[in-house]
Amino acid sequence: MRVERSSLMEKAAWLRRECFEMVVRSRKGHFPSSSSCADILVTLMYGGWMRCTAANPRAPERDRLFISKGHAGMALYPILEDMGFVAKGELLKFTKADGVFKFYPDQSIPGIEAITGSLAHGIGIATGHCLAGRQDGRDFRCYVIVSDGECYEGSTWEAALFASHQRLNRLVVFVDRNGCCILDHTEKCVALDPLAEKWRAFGWNVIEIDAHDVGQIDEALQAAEACTDKPTAIVALSIKGKGVSFMENRPEWHNKMPNEEQVAIARRELDVTTA
Amino acid sequence: MNEKPLPRDAFIDEVYEYATRDRNIIFITADLGAKALDRFRRDLPGQFFHLGICEQNMIDVAAGLAQNGRIVFVYAMGPFVTLRCLEQIKVALASMHLPCCIVGNGVGYSYDDAGPTHYATEDVACMRSIAGCEVLTVGDTWSARLTARRSCTDPGLRYVRLDRAFLPDAHVEGDDRLWNDGITVVAPGEKTLLLANGFMLQRALEVRSLLAESAPAPAVADLFRTTPIRGDVLRSLTAPFDRLVTIEEHFLSGGSGGAIAEAMADHGISKPLMRIAIPDQYRFDNGGRRYLLELVGLDVRTMADRVREFATN
Repeated sequence: MRVERSSLMEKAAWLRRECFEMVVRSRKGHFPSSSSCADILVTLMYGGWMRCTAANPRAPERDRLFISKGHAGMALYPILEDMGFVAKGELLKFTKADGVFKFYPDQSIPGIEAITGSLAHGIGIATGHCLAGRQDGRDFRCYVIVSDGECYEGSTWEAALFASHQRLNRLVVFVDRNGCCILDHTEKCVALDPLAEKWRAFGWNVIEIDAHDVGQIDEALQAAEACTDKPTAIVALSIKGKGVSFMENRPEWHNKMPNEEQVAIARRELDVTTA
Repeated sequence: MNEKPLPRDAFIDEVYEYATRDRNIIFITADLGAKALDRFRRDLPGQFFHLGICEQNMIDVAAGLAQNGRIVFVYAMGPFVTLRCLEQIKVALASMHLPCCIVGNGVGYSYDDAGPTHYATEDVACMRSIAGCEVLTVGDTWSARLTARRSCTDPGLRYVRLDRAFLPDAHVEGDDRLWNDGITVVAPGEKTLLLANGFMLQRALEVRSLLAESAPAPAVADLFRTTPIRGDVLRSLTAPFDRLVTIEEHFLSGGSGGAIAEAMADHGISKPLMRIAIPDQYRFDNGGRRYLLELVGLDVRTMADRVREFATN
């Protein structure tokens, strides 16, 4: 690993705390979906993978990150502030009239490539970037975070077919497999398993990992980098609401707001130090 | 076999000419071909993509290419390149203010034997509601070329409606007023102005000829750009006339006639207006395009009768 494992784990814990506090402050946002992909985002952004600088977030040679599961776009906001993509203090203005961070991310936010929120646009848009990069002879990579819920959308599989046919090996998709949609667990409403097999059948280089193990995330990214003839799908088994016991793996917490008592419990569990 | 090309071939040939000089021009199809496209894919394989029959992904991919400075054309049958991927057009193209030329071939009843699945009779209404999207209906070979040319040189988000049938000339080749004004008179006349587009432009000219047998001929204009309509152009164009009639091969709701009615209201143009369009109902009839148009009252004789009655009331 290019960065100390313990340092990434600390960053992930910090990111979860920041996301939770955003929700508490604004009474808006999706903590459980953000938490399930927190370790992936931290590994990409702080683990030496994403080549993109705050000084020039639209540099043509940059790596691109698409949070296709737009409801978890807020999970990138603390990182963007920390890295200087936006001014300090923006996080406190999440969803406020004078703030740059929106409920769902869009391209007006420095460091955000494309609007998401409506599901299953990220892979197709990233595919367009990859094709342009190939035509221009650039070696940038496109990383896409999709939810397992997005694997219900037909456009996900349209995109999966085409990217694989085009052998876009610089496209890496994380499937955040937390097993929950809004009303139920995925396997109870409409089963998605065997999900990794489906991606494999579509011609992708598929790696299955624990979404909360930064070491496994890093190794999967190395394996993706080594693959020269296929796009990579990293099916990452995750826990929705990771870090807050009463939210973990509970679909009903998708966009539910915690009460005062629940906030206190969650803060203890996330080790939030309140002022 | 016509010596003049079909609208799609005239359009694609023009894009080809620009694409040979500009590698940023990309043409994407969702499994719809054209004679002219064979040459494009043969000579410019790096600028051509067959996306499979995946209109939704085609739009998202186009958005990603456009974000990297590409001038993208996406091409499929009219109903599929619009309604099938309307949400992608809204989110990935329109909301991100990205240019893309969405080319729908075979609009109206072009695919006459195919039935409602292949008719594009509500596409104008849908695409008119997408913020920032121009809607253009091509009425002859020259306007197909002009549209292709300007889409290469002035990229924007636009939906270009091409007829599947050969369309005789209505404009003077080389005259690009149509692009600037959006609506231009193609046949002079008095009292009544017929505003028609696409396949119906020639039918409107036939209505004019029929009426001219017994009364002064109405004028005919090509209602090429349905969205946006320039108020100043509409005002000066309609000023000499007492009555206006719109003629289109599209449902009455939300079509080109509706666009004219809205523009008149918005720009304070007050004149009697009659909208001739397909009643809002799906048809499943065999018999071909002329017969279908007869069934829905868009045949030349029925339209001439309606215009005559409207003009004398």
